[in-house]
Amino acid sequence: MGTAVKVEHLSKEYRLGVIGNGSLWKDIQSWTAKLQGKPDPWTKINEESRIGRRDHFWALKDINFEVQQGERLGIIGRNGAGKSTLLRILSQITAPTEGVVKMRGHVASLLEVGTGFHPEFTGRENIYLNGAILGMSKADIDRNFDDIVAFSEIEPEFIDTPVKRYSSGMYVRLAFAVAAHLNSEILIADEVLAVGDVKFQEKCLGKMKEVSEKQGRTVLFVSHNIGAVRQLCQTGALLDHGKLLMLDNVDKVADEYAKLIGQ
Amino acid sequence: MTSDKETWDVVITPKRMWLGLNLKELRQYKDLIALMIRREFVSVYKQTIFGPLWFVFQPLMSTFLYMFVFGNIAQMGTDEIPQALFYFSGTMLWTFFATTLQKCSDTFINNAGLFGKVYFPRLTMPIAYVTNAFFTLLIQFAVMLVFYVYYLANGVQFSLSWWILTAPIYILQLALLGTGFGIMISALTTKYHDLRNLVSFGLSILMYATPVVYPISSIPMRWKALFQFNPVAPVIEMFRYSLFGKGSCNLKMWAYSLIVSVVVFLLGLMTFNHNEQTFVDVV
Repeated sequence: MGTAVKVEHLSKEYRLGVIGNGSLWKDIQSWTAKLQGKPDPWTKINEESRIGRRDHFWALKDINFEVQQGERLGIIGRNGAGKSTLLRILSQITAPTEGVVKMRGHVASLLEVGTGFHPEFTGRENIYLNGAILGMSKADIDRNFDDIVAFSEIEPEFIDTPVKRYSSGMYVRLAFAVAAHLNSEILIADEVLAVGDVKFQEKCLGKMKEVSEKQGRTVLFVSHNIGAVRQLCQTGALLDHGKLLMLDNVDKVADEYAKLIGQ
Repeated sequence: MTSDKETWDVVITPKRMWLGLNLKELRQYKDLIALMIRREFVSVYKQTIFGPLWFVFQPLMSTFLYMFVFGNIAQMGTDEIPQALFYFSGTMLWTFFATTLQKCSDTFINNAGLFGKVYFPRLTMPIAYVTNAFFTLLIQFAVMLVFYVYYLANGVQFSLSWWILTAPIYILQLALLGTGFGIMISALTTKYHDLRNLVSFGLSILMYATPVVYPISSIPMRWKALFQFNPVAPVIEMFRYSLFGKGSCNLKMWAYSLIVSVVVFLLGLMTFNHNEQTFVDVV
C-alpha cells in the first residue's frame, strides 16, 4: 500500500481585521513599492516584528505528515487549532501560503451536509445535484440511487416533495446518504456528524468504517466527539495553535488531548 | 526514486494561475454543469402558475411599455422597422447581455457558502449563468419570429440578405462581453464590495447609451464619436440589420467591438483564475 496523502511544510497565513479603506491603503502602498522595485513595506521581516502590530496570523505553521492508503486519520484539537483550515486546504477550497500537498486518488470532501441543496427542489433532484457537486457522475448516482434512498430512511413517497418541506432530520439524513455513497479514494469529513440523532450518527460511522475497510478508502476525519474519533480512526493527529503536536495511535493522541484540555 | 512513487493525482501549491483553462477538469464536471443550468432555469418558475411563460412576459411587457413611451409619446423613430420588432429584439438582446453580466459578477458573493464548502471548478457557475440566459434568449427569439411572420403576412417588406447568417455571431459576441465583464467584476468585488453597487446602476446607464430603444441613426452627429466606445452598441444594431435589413451597418465599429469582446473575455478569465483559489479568505 502506498501513500495516499503527503503534506509537506504546509502553512496558512490570514490577514486580521476588517477589509476597508485601511486595507486598500496598504494594498496601494505594497503595489507602488512593487512597481518601483522597492521592498514591500508591509512584509514582515521576522516573527518578532509581527508581535508589534499583529495584522497577520498563522492558522497553520509548517505541518508535515503522511497518510497511508486505507488509513483512517482522526484530526483533533481545541477550537482554533487549525483543523478546519487544514481540511479546507486539503479540499482545495483555499490555497496554502506555503508548502505542498500531494494526493493520490479522487478526493471527496464533506465539510457540511447538504451543500448545494436547493430548497425548492425535490429530494430526488437534490440527490442528483448534491451528488454532482461532490464529484459524482450522473451514471454513479443512477446506480446508487435506490441505496441512497434506503440509507436515508426517507419514505419513498416523500422523495418527490421539495426538501423545504422536510423535517430537519430528514434533510440531514438525505444529505448524508448521498455523501455515504461517494466512491472516492479519499474522504475528508469535518464535524458532519454533529447533526442528526445518535442512532443515525452510529449508522454513518459504521458505514464510513465499512467502506474504508472493504474498499481501502482513506478517511480524514475531524470531530470534537472523541468517542467517534476513537471508534472510527486508527491514527490520530493532535493540532494546537497551528502546529502538529503529535501523530500516533488514536488512543494515545486522545489521551494527550484530554490532558491538554485538562490544563 | 521510482517514477511510480511520484505520480500524484492532486498537487496543491500556493501558486496561482493567470491563464490556463482546465478544459479537461471542466469536462469531468459536465454533469454538474448540466444540473446547474437546470437549477438556474427551473428555479425561476418553480411554484408559479404561469411557469416558463414568465420568460416571455417580461420582454413583452417592456416592448409594450417602450412602444407607448418612446414610440407614441416621444415619437422616436425605429429606422422603419415595425415598432414591436424593433423594441422586442433590442430588449431581448439587452436582457441577455445584462443578465449574464449581473449574474456572473455575483458569482463569488452569491456562491460563497457553496464555494466555501466544496471544491469544483468555479467556472461552472458562470457557464451555467450564460447558458441559462442563452436558453431564455432562444425562447424569446421564437416569440420574435411569431411577430416577424405576422408582419410578413401583413405585407411588410424586409430586405433580407446573406447577412442573416451572421446573426449567431452577435449573440456569441454578447455572451463573450457579458461573461467577460461579469467574471472580471466578480473577481474584483471579492475584496472590495464597492463595485457591486455600481453594477446595476452602471447597467441602466449603459442601456441608454446603447441603441435599445432608439436606432443609431437618430443620434446627433456630435455624440456619435462617444458611441463608438460602447462595444455593445454596434452588436445590437448589426443584429437588427442582419434580420430586418434596415438600420446602419458600420463594419469598422463592429470590428472594434469584436476585438473588445475577445480581449474582455480573456482578461476576465485571467482575473477569475487568479482569484478563485483564495477568494474564500477575503470575500
